[in-house]
Amino acid sequence: MKGPPLERYAAAQGAERRDSVRLGSKAGHDARSVAFARDLSDPDGLRVLAGRIKQHVLEHLDTYLDQAERRMTATGAEVHFAADAQAARRVIATILERRGARRVVKAKTMVSEEIELAAHLEERGIECVETDLGEFVVQLDRDRPSHIVKPIIHKNRREVAATFEGHGLGAYDDTPEVITRRARAFLRRKYLDADAAVTGANFVSAESGRIVLVTNEGNSRFCLAATRCHVAVVGIEKIVPTDRDLAVFLNLLARSATGQRLTAYTELIAGPRGPGQPDGPDEVHVVLLDNGRADVLSGDCREILRCIRCGACLNVCPVYRQASGHAYRSVYPGPVGAVLTPLLAGRRLTGWSDLPGASTLCGACHEVCPVDIPIEELLPRLRARAARERAPASAAGIGAWSLLASTPAAWRAALAAGALFEALPASFRSRASGPWGEHHDPPAWRGGAFRRWLDERSRGGA
Amino acid sequence: MTARPAGRDVALMATCLCDAFFDDVARASVQVLEHLGCRVAVPADQTCCGQPAYNAGEWDAARRVARHAMRVFEGEGPVVTPSGSCARMLSHGAAAMFEREPDRGAAERLAARVWELSDYIVNGLGVTAWGGRFEGSLAFHRSCHSRGTACAEAALTLLSSIPGLRIVEIGETEQCCGFGGLFSTTFPRLSREIGALKLAELRSASADAVVSADMGCLMHLDGLARRERRPVRTLHVVQVLRDALRLEGSGAAS
Amino acid sequence: MTDDRRRVLARVRAALAPLRDRAPMPEYADDVAFARDVLDGRDLVTAFVERLTDAGGLAFVDPRALGAWLVDRGARRGHCDPSLVEALRPALPAGIAVETRFERARIDDYDFAITRAAGAIAETGTIVLGDATTSHRLAALAPWIHVAVVGRSTIVARVVDALRAAGSDANVVWCTGPSKTADVEGILVRGVHGPGEQVALVVP
Repeated sequence: MKGPPLERYAAAQGAERRDSVRLGSKAGHDARSVAFARDLSDPDGLRVLAGRIKQHVLEHLDTYLDQAERRMTATGAEVHFAADAQAARRVIATILERRGARRVVKAKTMVSEEIELAAHLEERGIECVETDLGEFVVQLDRDRPSHIVKPIIHKNRREVAATFEGHGLGAYDDTPEVITRRARAFLRRKYLDADAAVTGANFVSAESGRIVLVTNEGNSRFCLAATRCHVAVVGIEKIVPTDRDLAVFLNLLARSATGQRLTAYTELIAGPRGPGQPDGPDEVHVVLLDNGRADVLSGDCREILRCIRCGACLNVCPVYRQASGHAYRSVYPGPVGAVLTPLLAGRRLTGWSDLPGASTLCGACHEVCPVDIPIEELLPRLRARAARERAPASAAGIGAWSLLASTPAAWRAALAAGALFEALPASFRSRASGPWGEHHDPPAWRGGAFRRWLDERSRGGA
Repeated sequence: MTARPAGRDVALMATCLCDAFFDDVARASVQVLEHLGCRVAVPADQTCCGQPAYNAGEWDAARRVARHAMRVFEGEGPVVTPSGSCARMLSHGAAAMFEREPDRGAAERLAARVWELSDYIVNGLGVTAWGGRFEGSLAFHRSCHSRGTACAEAALTLLSSIPGLRIVEIGETEQCCGFGGLFSTTFPRLSREIGALKLAELRSASADAVVSADMGCLMHLDGLARRERRPVRTLHVVQVLRDALRLEGSGAAS
Repeated sequence: MTDDRRRVLARVRAALAPLRDRAPMPEYADDVAFARDVLDGRDLVTAFVERLTDAGGLAFVDPRALGAWLVDRGARRGHCDPSLVEALRPALPAGIAVETRFERARIDDYDFAITRAAGAIAETGTIVLGDATTSHRLAALAPWIHVAVVGRSTIVARVVDALRAAGSDANVVWCTGPSKTADVEGILVRGVHGPGEQVALVVP
């Protein structure tokens, strides 16, 4: 089958999977709509405010990074910088090996997928277990998550039950409660036997140095309560100016992601465990990751770095709903991924150049984005970048068309000539209409009719 | 942001789609505007707003076409077009493409004069109620290019004031029809699947026809539906306005 | 490592250098988020209990009622913060065993744990925990039932107030209802890694 990679992947998935993704996304979007209408008097005003706060941080990121580092250090955390994925893996592996850690439990973080941490640790003989239920299933299946908030939106309960059975987690049972209880029991042993915990962070306060984790399952709490060493990997763009500003983002994040006022757990972490507290880490490391973000900051799509990973854009996107996350072949799918993935990939978009095109530019993502990212304006800029990378010959069609559209006499002649095309058999016309003709009956050609009518009236005719 | 010029001397940008396929919509636009007392100039050298090239990322080509439009529509008065998508192209799209160009000023001046047709009637000419009569129910399709603009509300204001006409809201109204211009040719399967979902919503709304302010969307939905051998009736807002008043040329909606 | 620090900061500085004007920090009022005054004329405790229930939690003001509920839930053994046990032990039915220790090796022996909250948030129905006030992090997390003892005067109205009150505690945790997931087909299941029952005992 021909066509761009995203379209081919979308076509290859079964109807059942497509329905799971579409209905799951729609449910997420509907839940968001209910929460926004119920709780926020000026939802668009709040989104725009959050967007402006983030834009301010991005455009002063040098200052904020410096400040955040100092404040985090003051809380007792050790701060490391990682220029790229390899550096991040190296830093984390070194921290773990210095502690003699052989077993690590991990809370969900897209950044760890971005740097491919688990595979790297496994190679070094360090077991790295995913503790978020969806990510746990993905790990067992050697699959990839297809949504940034709901990793197994593409799976149904039967698939999960089969996975559990295949990994010795009990006889086949596809009741969600049973699946969850089994994961609870299994992962509990993993927490208690682990030497270290790896998490991400949703926000870093430059004022207090707190890192903020937003979850529902309790997995990150358990990772930290049960182990003595906490490593948090965070993109450099996750900083917010003050603790007060956290209220703006926390009021938006859960509502945008799942329609909840707040998720079950919001952890505000300031260094190792407090005095007198028997449980928790004695060592906290924060790895601040660049991995292409500074590059994005320097370009004309820097607004994408405002993203707080809520998934609302995925939930509303008609293309995501039909194609599902795997079609984006990346850690970040959906509208945010269509911009971020090609940009993080490096100087050239090759390999990802179909992603910016996989959009009708409908702008629904912008309307739901809690930080007001104008994704439908960023995508054409990326398309322009992709066009510059292509061989000039590929632009010949559009070039010829633009010449026609700037030469009025030729344009009017083409309008008249189209009538000849119209005289040909319908089946031929369909085939000759290229991709349009694959699925559409074309409209009747009426080129020149409007202009003739204008001429007749001006001559006093009509 | 300064107010856009209004008044009754307008230039009409008919759009390339109407030029090629939908002459009745272009005609209805002239008739309706003249009915409202406007003098309508239709520059003969007009072609297209450049959106296909903009969407493709071929911005040199897009600028060439946009510059032609800037020359053709040179002037001070309002430029009205029966297409939310073309109106958006000449304002937002041009802003992006001409950001670093020497003739950025000229692009901005045209952008400041462009009106989508329903928006112009309601907010430019101040007409908030339509008269006449239109028997039947119409499902209103909000085109995505009307997001963040006044045009969908303006269209609904006019349509819902027509005696006899019942506007039917459709489910999942924020979901795109799947046209996306170039997208329908670069991702034809996805475009069709998304369109099929929209058609299902439209059909279950059980209206007599689908009405919208963008021929791109209607052309896409109409083309898919006829290929499925289950045609749907499609109308542009301006055709409904003309037919309600029984102006010359009416009949598209009967 | 410091080499990476230099590289990253240099790249960021270089990325921002061409910007003529940098986006200013917007000003805004504290109550920017909500449609209605969350109190709506009610007191903080009433609002807190209502929102906690909305989030799937449970509230008691009478320790004896809590005790009866624990029995009803089949709880037989639990942990209680030593600083609370004198006040609460009498209210709990004799058939329930209460330990002031929390032994990790016997983590699954505890059907419930009673620990202190550091505060609460009325508008979201959130219980605030902290390292300074929690006897054992694992006690507040691992047993199926967690009872947080919330002092009335520590309940604040809004999220922004709770952030102000966070102080310097190393591990502030906002608990809004029980642990939950909807990862399997979007179906909500309570009690994943954390408590399946989140309870607040509101005391004077």
